[in-house]
This record gives sequence, structure tokens and C-alpha cells, in this order.
Amino acid sequence: MSELPFYQASGDEIDLFEHAHRNRLPVLIKGPTGAGKTRFVAYMAAKLGLPLHTVACHDDLTAADLVGRHLIGDGETYWSDGPLTRAVREGGICYLDEVVEARKDTTVVIHPLADHRRTLPIDRNGEVLQAPDDFMLVVSYNPGYQNFLKGMKPSTRQRFLALRFDFPDAAREESILVGETRCDAFVAKRLVDLGRSLRALKDVDLEEVASTRLLIYAALLIRDGMDPVVACRAALIEALTDDREVAAALEEVVLATFGK
Amino acid sequence: MEEWIGARWDRWVTQAARRDHPHAAVELKDIEKTLGVFFRALGGDAGLRVVAAADCAHGARRRLLQRIAGIGMRTAHAALDREILRLPPRLAVLPTPDLNRDLYLWLAALAARTDPERSRSPQHWIAVNQQATLRALQTHPGLLARYRRLVLALLNERIAPDRLPEDEAAQERAIRQALLVPGSVAALPAPKRGKVRTVQPVPLWLMPAPIAPDAAARAPTPNEREGAPSQEQQAPNKRYQAERVEMPSHDSPMILPFRAESLLSWAEFVKVNRATDDDPNPDAGRAAISLDRLMLAGDDDTGQQAASKVRLDLDLPPAAEDDLALGPGILLPEWDWRRQRLKPDYCRVQPMAARQAEPCPLPERLRRSAQRLKSQFAALAPARRWLKGQPDGIEPDIDACVRIAADRRAGRSLAGTSAYLDRRPADRDLACLVLADLSLSTDAHANDEQRVIDVIRDSLMLFGDALTATGDRFAFYGFSSLRRSFVRFHEIKPFDRPFDAMTRGRIAALKPGYYTRLGAAVRRTVQLLEPQPSPRRLLLVLSDGKPHDTDLYEGRYGIEDTRHALAEARNAGIKPFFVTIDREAAAYLPHMCGPNGFVIMRKPEELLTRLPQLYAQLTDR
Ligand SMILES: Nc1ncnc2c1ncn2[C@@H]1O[C@H](COP(=O)(O)OP(=O)(O)OP(=O)(O)O)[C@@H](O)[C@H]1O
Ligand SMILES: [Mg+2]
Repeated sequence: MSELPFYQASGDEIDLFEHAHRNRLPVLIKGPTGAGKTRFVAYMAAKLGLPLHTVACHDDLTAADLVGRHLIGDGETYWSDGPLTRAVREGGICYLDEVVEARKDTTVVIHPLADHRRTLPIDRNGEVLQAPDDFMLVVSYNPGYQNFLKGMKPSTRQRFLALRFDFPDAAREESILVGETRCDAFVAKRLVDLGRSLRALKDVDLEEVASTRLLIYAALLIRDGMDPVVACRAALIEALTDDREVAAALEEVVLATFGK
Repeated sequence: MEEWIGARWDRWVTQAARRDHPHAAVELKDIEKTLGVFFRALGGDAGLRVVAAADCAHGARRRLLQRIAGIGMRTAHAALDREILRLPPRLAVLPTPDLNRDLYLWLAALAARTDPERSRSPQHWIAVNQQATLRALQTHPGLLARYRRLVLALLNERIAPDRLPEDEAAQERAIRQALLVPGSVAALPAPKRGKVRTVQPVPLWLMPAPIAPDAAARAPTPNEREGAPSQEQQAPNKRYQAERVEMPSHDSPMILPFRAESLLSWAEFVKVNRATDDDPNPDAGRAAISLDRLMLAGDDDTGQQAASKVRLDLDLPPAAEDDLALGPGILLPEWDWRRQRLKPDYCRVQPMAARQAEPCPLPERLRRSAQRLKSQFAALAPARRWLKGQPDGIEPDIDACVRIAADRRAGRSLAGTSAYLDRRPADRDLACLVLADLSLSTDAHANDEQRVIDVIRDSLMLFGDALTATGDRFAFYGFSSLRRSFVRFHEIKPFDRPFDAMTRGRIAALKPGYYTRLGAAVRRTVQLLEPQPSPRRLLLVLSDGKPHDTDLYEGRYGIEDTRHALAEARNAGIKPFFVTIDREAAAYLPHMCGPNGFVIMRKPEELLTRLPQLYAQLTDR
């Protein structure tokens, strides 16, 4: 318990997560990139004293990758648990990050786990695992990337409690910057203002907005003695756009924030 | 006394003219895009367009000043209203290019922090600018150093108070004070009675905006009924009335210092009035003016031509000669951005087809390009792709073999037998609808030989052939409009018809005419694309100007309506993409279409070569 990761709450999400855990309900976390989803889950795992099994989903992730497979050894074969199976056996939080990226067949294996049955059938060796009480399934996805082909099926979606994460308000974001990087409060305030300016450009000049994560990068560079304008160019501007003219304009915004 | 004022005035104008620093000039067009992004990032309204102040007050001003000073001086002021941020097309008031560039950025920052409603009133001019200055410096303290440099440089350029008569000196002192310590000056000291003009311009501030055409604030004209293509001309011109009512009264003592400016902001209306005066048909006059602006965007000297054309155009051709109407019209909503709601059944879209289209072969001059494009597009035709774990196929699936072997050895005899890879044609499964703008502005010349409409026709002919080679489903439509009750929606090639000589005939028969009610046309394409079975649906819009129609569908109203229609398309799972040849488009397209939602062609001819490239890029992911 002494090693709690730093997490700045923005509402009642901690409380809600604890209730979900007590009632053995699975949780879905949605929100833009860098909004603290992964950090929150790590924090909750530590707070509840549970082991955390994280699986980053990608479009080649199959059910076998989650559940496990037979491996061929020296003259024999042996079964190897996948991360999901391990989590169910050992208990703890299984966190499927960016779950919409995974192939369709993976959702089938999480269905019985995510409803009242709380079971994981393993076709390959005929086992059916019953999840222990402290097992908890958590999935996340970023609605921004989700296109109309890759939405979540309602039958999957409606098995989870859902939590929305958004960028924190200015005061919280400042304390995240300070808490995370130990930069000074003045720099944090300027960076947060800058982040807000850039977020105003979403869907007009920029496709993606500056995440808290990027602001943290910039804060780290500045704390390390780098010129703020140079730091922001690398951490924010070039990370957000390839268009030269837009980049030039963003640089002006940085100057307007930090001065020249 | 009169004479003395005259001398003053003359000195002011000539001095102001001489105080330009041509070698340090910065052009708006070079940093326009940067300014737009900067303005929005600092909190400016994304729906505003940033445009050169040239098209309204500027022309008149030059003439006026030329007349007075006897030299050609260009001055244009920054001003803000709810639709447009006007900036001088060129800045040379300060002695170095860096300073003039900074001045542009400062004006954008100031505008981002200015309330457009308040900034319209001359009475509040000095207060509004100080407030906005304070706000800008507060939210973006990095501007402070820049602001100081600008103020110091500007003060150097201004006539010192001790060289001015007493009342002007008091005003100049107040302005200096307001620049140096923003927020410290409540009002401008009154000038002596009867003075024409006393204040030196303050290029660091926004001027009261010329009264903007306030499109949606005006009620729809009463004699425009739903559903019926109104042949009757539009009702008495409300717009001008509205504008006149809103003009600041010239008797108010508070406005006196701005008298010259107020006069200038009249220029637009004076011009309009003249056009209406000597025109028997006020509507035509008005239409000509609107179109004049539209054409100016692309080409400076076509305005005249356009005006004469419109007059012809306002009379619809007799029904027997016009294109064939296909069935009854379709009622569609329109988005009113001020009220933030859809006006249901507001527009009537009339599907039409060319009456005398003759089957037509591919024109000789396009043959070579067509050949080349076809082979390029054939490469886009559905690629084959590997399917894993098939019960049968042309190669073994090693992954599956290993898995099955391992499962078997582990004693699972039911491990399955699907251990092949197979190659199948992958479904591109794509539906693309091309919507071409056929409004009158496409009658403008694209180059020496061709008009814009010719380029559009050629592009469609080539594109049709090329798309046929890909096997993708596609459709072509064209549109123009004559007010909300008659959005002409031309069927060129529906999804379920082949692209053949008949289609080419229809393309060849396309004629430019009327206006651009973009939102309604986009909504109609959504209806056509939605039932398409393909999971990927693309809407390509070829346009040559802003949304625009005569019944108040212009400026921000039209842009916001189109933006809304595009959002509806996206919600329906359609990817809209704009291809435009309007060089002014950078000012409104980001807001209307979003990032990566559009491309601007420098020359219309580029359409021929870029369109296929674009298609490949857009669909190949
Ligand atoms: N509320 C918060 N408290 C503490 N740190 C935070 C918070 N929100 C964001 N962060 C910081 O931002 C970084 C990014 O957050 P995190 O990795 O959790 O984002 P995410 O939502 O999982 O993003 P992605 O969708 O890209 O995986 C973290 O490393 C952490 O430093
Ligand atoms: Mg994460």
C-alpha cells in the first residue's frame, strides 16, 4: 500500500471502481488518449492490493493469445496460460487496453467472464474456470479512434459499467503536471493554458488534441532546463501536426504563452 | 476656419501616407493560414473567416483618400463582426517586417479576445480595445513583450501631441495613455465642434466593424412558400433596410471622431444602392452584387461580366426548355446556426436530368489520359488477400498446422482441420458519390481555353471511366440552386446504372447556372449513400466557391449549414471530402470540413490529374 502510484482523481471514479469491485462487476473505461485511463487502473490495483494483468490489444490479437495455447517442447507439448487465464486463476485485475482493436473472436471469450457467470471456458483443454471473487475485468477504449466499422457490439458493451474519462479541468491538470514532474507551478500553469489553447483547435485545424501525457513530456523537458519554446516544439507541436503552416501557427501560440 | 481644417486634414492624410514603410511590408496572404490557426487557438470563434479588409471599405476608402490627398494611399483597418475578421491586406505601418508581422499576430490575438457585438459600436471603440488588450495579455502573457515593442514602435510613428492643436492633442494623449496603460482611459475627449476628423488611426486596435450582412437575423421573405418554385421575384430588399436601420446615427456627438469611418462603412451600401437604382429589377441588382463578391474571390475582373449574366439568369428558362424534373421535389431541413436548430422541410431539392442529352463517346482529346488513368485505377481494383485457417486452400497455414499438431499431441483429437491459407479477392466494397457544383460561377474561365465547367466535365468523364476499372460502386450528381424552394439536383449517373455513352451525354449536357445551396445538396447525397450496402462510403464534393444562394444563404449562415450537413453525413457513416478550386477557401474550409476533410487546388486544371490520386489516397486504407 505504501507504493501507491500518483493519481489525481477528477470525480467519483475511485469510489465507483471500489463499488464495482465489491460487487464483482466489470468496468469499461473510455476516453481520449493520455487522459489517465491506464494510470487510474494501476492506481486502483495498488489501492485494492490486487495484481494487475495488462493486455494491450491489437488487431492481430486472437482468442488464443488471451486464453493460452499448447506449446511444443522437447518431445512433448505443454499448455501455456494466456494472460486472461492467468488472471482468472490468480485473481486480480485483468485490464484489456484498447479492446476494440482486438479481433472479433476475442470478445466471445470475454462474454461469459463479464456477466453473472464469471466463467472462462478453455476450449482447447476442456477446462471451465470459475473466476474468484477478487477477479475483475476492466477494458478501455478511445472513442475518438473508433470508426463506424470498429464500434463495440452492444452485447459486449452492455456487460460493463462504463466510466468516461476526459481531460481534467485546469486546476487538476496543473496539479497532475506538478505531481508527475515536480516542475514549478508557474510552468505548469502556462503549459495547461497552452494545452487548452491547442484543444480549441480540435476538428478544425488539428485531428488530435494535446493530451495530458504530452504536456507532461513538455514539463519534463522544461524542468530539465530546456528552453520552453524548444521543449514545446518537440513535445507538442511536432507531435500534433505535420502541416508546416499549422506548425508555424502553433509555435506562435507557444510564444504567446511563454513569451519572446 | 474651414480652410484651417482643410490644411490639417491634408497634412494628416499625406503624413499618414508618407509614414508607410514599403520595404517592411508584410502581406496578409503570406501569413493568413497561420493567423487563422492562431486566432482560433487564442479563443477566437472558429466559425469566423479571416479575410483581407479589401473587399468592403477599402476600395472606397482609397478613392476617398486619393481624392483628398491626391495620392494613391491604401489603408484598411482591422475589424470584427460575427462572421468575419477583416485584416488589412498588407501592413507597412511599422518600420521592420518583423514588427509588421507581429502586428498581424497581435490583431488576431486582440480579435480573439474581443466581443464582436461590442466592437461594432464606435462609442465603445477606445474602451473595447483596452479591455480586449488586457484580456489578451492576461490569458497569453507571452504577448506582453511583443505588445510593448509594438506600442513603442507605433508611438514613434504617430504625430506627437505637442504638434497638434489642443483638442486633437488631448485625444492623442488619451490614445497614447490607453496604449501604454490599457484600461486606464474611460473615454475619448470630445473634439471641437464641427470637426471632420481628428483621430489618427490606431493600427493596434480594431475599428468598429462595417455593418455586416446579417443573414439569418432576417426573416425569410414572406412570399416564398414551401414547395413551390417561386417564379416571382424576391420581396422588397430587407437586407438594405435592415442595414440602414443599424447604421450609427450621424448626429450623435459621440460618433463624431468616427465620422469619416462611418462614411466609409457606407461605401458598400452606397454602391449597392446605385446598382439597385438604375436597375429595374432590384433583385437582379442584389444578386449581381452577391455574385460579384463571389466572383471576386477567384478573379478580380470578372465581377462586371457576372453581373450582366445574372440578370439573364434570374428568369428560369421556360419549363419546356429546362432540364427534365424527375418526380416531385424532396423536402429537406436546413440548419440555422443562430438558433442552433434545424428548420424542418425548409428546402426543396428537385431531382433533374438533362432533356436533350445525346449518347456521346469519349472526346478524342481525353483518350490518352483516359488510357493512362484506367491502367492506374485497375491497380486499385480489389487486391487479393490471404485468409487464414481455411478448410481448403492453395498453401498450408503453418500457424494453424503447429497449433493443430500441438493440440493433437496434447490429446485433443478434436483440434480441427482447417490448416490452409487461401487467396480470395478482398472486397474493397466501397461506394463513392461525386457531387459537382454547377452554379453560375463555374462559367468563369479556368484558363485561356477552358471554363471551370469544362474542366469539371472532363474530370467527370475521365473519372467515370477510371472508376469503372476499379469495380467500385459510384454515382455522379451535380447541383445548383435558386433559393430554398428550388435546389436543382442533376442526376448524371446513379449507383445502379453503368457508366456509358449515355452518361457521357449527360455530362456533356451539364450547364452552369444559378447558385450554390451546398447544405441541401449534401443532405440529398446522404440519402442516396445511406442505403448503399458497402460499409465504406465516400462523398466527394467538387466545388468552386462558398455556399451561397440569394435568399440569405450566404456568409456564415451557409457555411454553418454545410458544416452541419457534413456532420450529418459523418454520423451516417459517410466520409465526406471537399475538393475545391476556390483560392479563398482556406478561410472557411477548416471550420466547414474539419482537418483532412478538404484539399484546395491552385488551378482548376489540376482536378484532372489530382482527382484520381486523391481517390486512391482516400480509399486505400
Ligand atoms: N488523473 C491523473 N493523475 C495522474 N497522472 C495522470 C492523470 N491523468 C493523466 N496522467 C498522466 O498522463 C499520462 C498518460 O496517462 P495514461 O497512460 O493513463 O493515459 P491513457 O488514458 O491510458 O492513454 P491511452 O489511451 O493513450 O493509453 C500518465 O503517465 C500520467 O503521467
Ligand atoms: Mg493507456
